[in-house]
Formats: sequence, structure tokens, C-alpha cells
Amino acid sequence: MNKIGPPLPAVTRRIAETPSDFLGEPRLGGYGAIAVDALLGDVLHGLGITPPLAVLAAFAPDRSPSQRNHFKLGAIAAWLLADEWLNSAEPDAAKLAEFLLTALEELAGQASAESYVTEADRREELARTMLARLDFRPEGESPEQARDRLSMISAAERARLMAASRAAEERAREVREALARKAAQESADKWTRE
Amino acid sequence: MTAPTDADRYPTLSETGRALLDRMREHPAAPLFRNTSGNRLTQNDLAALARFEADLGDPPAAGAPPAWVGQAIADAYAEVPHYRALGSAPARLADVPPISRAELARDVARFVPDSVDIQRLINFQTTGTTGHSLLVPSHPQVAGRYLAYHKRALARFGIVPRHGAGQVGVVLIGHQQPCFTYLSVTPQMSESGLAKINLHPADWNDSADRAVYLDALEAEFIAGDPLSFETLLGLAVTCRPRALLSVSMMLSAGLRQALEDRFECPVLDLYSMNEVGPIGLFDPALGGHVLLQDRLWLEVLGTHGQPLPDGERGEITVTGGFNFCLPLLRYRTGDHGSLATVRGERMIVDLVGRAPVRFRDATGAWRNNIEVTHALKHLPIAQYALHQHRDGSFTLSLSAGSRHQGDQAAAALGGLFGPVSLSLATLPDGAKAQQYTTDLAEVQ
Repeated sequence: MNKIGPPLPAVTRRIAETPSDFLGEPRLGGYGAIAVDALLGDVLHGLGITPPLAVLAAFAPDRSPSQRNHFKLGAIAAWLLADEWLNSAEPDAAKLAEFLLTALEELAGQASAESYVTEADRREELARTMLARLDFRPEGESPEQARDRLSMISAAERARLMAASRAAEERAREVREALARKAAQESADKWTRE
Repeated sequence: MTAPTDADRYPTLSETGRALLDRMREHPAAPLFRNTSGNRLTQNDLAALARFEADLGDPPAAGAPPAWVGQAIADAYAEVPHYRALGSAPARLADVPPISRAELARDVARFVPDSVDIQRLINFQTTGTTGHSLLVPSHPQVAGRYLAYHKRALARFGIVPRHGAGQVGVVLIGHQQPCFTYLSVTPQMSESGLAKINLHPADWNDSADRAVYLDALEAEFIAGDPLSFETLLGLAVTCRPRALLSVSMMLSAGLRQALEDRFECPVLDLYSMNEVGPIGLFDPALGGHVLLQDRLWLEVLGTHGQPLPDGERGEITVTGGFNFCLPLLRYRTGDHGSLATVRGERMIVDLVGRAPVRFRDATGAWRNNIEVTHALKHLPIAQYALHQHRDGSFTLSLSAGSRHQGDQAAAALGGLFGPVSLSLATLPDGAKAQQYTTDLAEVQ
């Protein structure tokens, strides 16, 4: 966070104003319309960066459908990165790739891509994550303040995620046990049995 | 959790119902009943089932998916762990990635919605021929809903079920080892009896008892599969059910005719699967399986997952269904066919289980397995499996009861393939076989 970026509200406002074109269905596994690899390729070119092959491959339409949320966040990131301030800030290509590949995948594992647009806390998390991964901090904040704020938001999100994950695992275990009970195995009447 | 009792199995059982259960169990010719089960339906369940049947609508017509499909997608992405992990709900069904039996088999718990009360979960186990054994999560009400679709299917033949208290409504016959067998009553039909029995001689004191018992029950309907119906044809029964209901396997026109001639009643060929319930009913006059469910949307997908227009063959893929414990979005059934609307009715044409297989004929040309189905359909064969070896020769395996049809079947295949080498074999007793296989697949 050594460089000074734009004020945080400017970044979160841009996220909140993500056009619907960027929120459509990503092209993945033969479905969807938005070619996220092409979109990110164009944005990176616009920033004067040759799109790294790893980025293009990670958002290629032949990836697993389980990557859908990451792809959707990739499309939102394309809009976020096509901001004018970044054009003049000359971001580092490796850091950009790391943001798109690692940071976005982590965020995609925490919540739906849309929630990073519609919910204030998540908008802030996406904005701060992007700035931090590109070595920027919000204008008006010291590096320590920016770091503290990001880790606070991330810690809260991680705690929420852990609780949700534990609840989901517990529920899945209960369902498995319920299905294995003798009463469940006895089943119930059907007039035909497949 | 304590073991289930009869109070759990038959929550509304009356004295009359109890007496019928005793009569079916204690008949001198009764078989060994190896298991216990029941309807598990409470008064609340019965009221809900009555509403379900009254609200049953028509199957969806061709065109865009009905409005309820959008809600089904939204609900699944909100409530089903597997879908929730994919993020927000897509706006269009076409953007939902299809799943297959393999995904369900991996961890079916992830497909049970959060809102389902697991205290009353039951399961139906299914093995299939693909090697993916599967426990289908279900509920007593879901099992009870089958009857509404059976009534709809029977109504196409002008039949309204009428057996009630003190009478047997349905006997489900199997012919396999092992077979789940038990007795129950159907409270929606004033506690008419239900017997699930195995025609395999191992379950009987005397194999002649099979006919005696079936005649004594005088069931209104007999349900089974082509293998058990083939066995039934060989028994000296005189009972006259009002209809036979066949599920689980393809029913040949020849076997259907033999059953109709013998029992002088309609034979209903139902396309049904544990994951989805009864999907379609074969209507010989219309030449396809007429759809039965109002809240089940069918698509036919190509090999790359693309939706195909009416008339083009592909994999039958379903969305929705009446099992609220397992809401399905674009579930690839593994069965193939095409969709059509004939005389205003939506149907599946040329339904074949499993993926298409091509066989090489004597001239070196490739013939689709659907041609084999057509070539053999006039013969009363309960089950067969055709395999083409690497050298181009064939083995046709027939169920034991159909083995005598071997020469005629070989002649029919000779007409299709020309002069090829074909040997005959017998399928293992009661086994589910993959119908079409080839060693030449890699060169196609």
C-alpha cells in the first residue's frame, strides 16, 4: 500500500454503478454470453499491459461451471479496472494478475458476485482488496489505517464465512445421517417401483 | 433414534386395514415377506395429498419454459447448497449448468434444500446400469404423490381405481434376488391392500403358490417390469387385473401384446425413474410417451449440452418435479429420445435408455441402436443386450424366459445387419443389463 490511489468513495461508487452489461451471465461451459477472458483482455490492453496467458486461461469459457462466481466477479473487476485513475497510475502487470486470479477467487468463495455490487460492506471489501493488491491505499488514509481497515473487514467476512461453512457442513452431515437411518431405508409405499 | 414401529409405518391404520394386512400375510400360499415398510402417511399428509391431486395441472406445452421454472431456479440457488455455491441465480434456464447422476451420487446431501425437515426423510435406493449407486432423498408425501400420476395414466385408458377397504389395490411383482418385499395399505384408497412380492421361487414354500397367492389377492392392478411380467406369463394364474403397470425397462410391443392377450386388460408402459417419478406413459396410437407431470420441464440436450429443437434426438433433461427433497435443475437423465407435440399432447418419441450406440453392419455402414430396437420390437422379449465385438461379430443375450425367441431375434437382426456372425447367450437371472454395448466405439 505504498502508493496513493483515489478516495475510497470514488471506488465504491464505481462498483455500485457497475452497468448491467457486466452483470450478465458469463460464457462458461457452453452457457452464458459475456466472454470474461476477452473483456479482461481488452481492459488490460487499455492499461498498456499484455494480458498474461494465465489470466486468459483462468477465465476461458472451457473452465468448470463451478468457476461461475469467479467469472462473474471477473466481469465486475473488468469494469472496476477500466477506471481512468488506474490508466494514469500504471499498475504492475504481475500484481494485476495476482488480484484477478487469487484475490478474486477468494472473494468469489465468500459471497455471490452481485453482493459485492449491492452491499456496502462488500463493496468496500472489493474496493480495498483491489487497491491493496495493486499496492495502493485510499487517498487520505495512512498505510497503517488502510491495512487495519482491510483486515478488519476481511476478518469479519472470514468469521461469517467460517460460521456459514460450519453450518452447511453440519446440515449435510445431518442429511446423510437421516438418509442412512433404518426408518429412511424402509422407505414408503409407491404403486410402482423403478 | 428408535427402530420404526407399525404406528410409524401405518399412522392411520384402521381395524379393517389391520385385518387385510393379516389376511395377506397369513394366507396359506403367502410368500416370505423379507422386509417391513408402510405408507407413513398422517392425516395431515393425506389432506396435503388430496390438495396436490386436486391442483394437478396439464403438462407444459412446447415453447419457452413456464414461469414456475424461474422460481424453481431462484429457490434452488437460495436453498440448495450445491447451487448456492455457484453464486447468484442465472436469469435463464439455458444458463444453468446441467448435472447428471454422477453429481448426485457424489454427495446427494448437497442437493437437499435447507427447508426440508430431515426428521421424515426416507430414501429410495437405485443402482442403475452405470455403476453410480444413488440414495434418492424422499418423503412419505412424495411417495404418495405417485398415485396421482398413476390415476392420470390409468384415466387415459378409461380406468378409475375403485378397490377400497378389504380389497387389494395393487400387487408389485419383482423377479430378482434380493428383492425388497412387504405388505401395506393405501389410505388414499380407503386402505386397499398393497403387496410387494418377489416371483423368484426362492421366496416361496412351493413355486406353485405364486399363482395361488396372486389369484387369492385378486388385485385391481399388477405393477412390475418386463422381467417380472415375463415370469408372470409363465404362471398358471387366472386373475384378471384391470391393468398392468410396467416400469423400469423398455417394454417391447411383442411382450405388451402377449400380456394384453393373456390378461385381457391394458398394459401401461410408464417411463419413470426414482429421481423424477413417473415422467411419461407410452401411447401406441400417438407413437410416444405422453408426458404426465405438470411441474416438470423437459429439454433434449445435444452432446455439447446445447438444447435441441423438437424432432432431434438427444439426452432427456428435466427441471422441477414433485420431489421437494430433491428439486432438479437440468438433470440429465441418461435416457435419449426426441420431443414432439402430437395432437396437442407433449411427448417423448423413440425413448431409449442410455446413450446412443452405433453398430457396424455387414457392408461396413453404421446403424444406430434405435434401428435395433425397431427390428426386435415385435418379439415378446422381456430384456435383451446386444454387444458387438472388436472383430465385428455380435452376441445377443436374452433373459432366460425369452431365450426361446433367440432364432427369431437373430433372423430379425440378420435383416438389419446383413450376413454377420451372431451368437446367442442368456442374461444372468434378474440382472439389469446395459442394453447396447460395443468394442468398436473408439473407431466411430
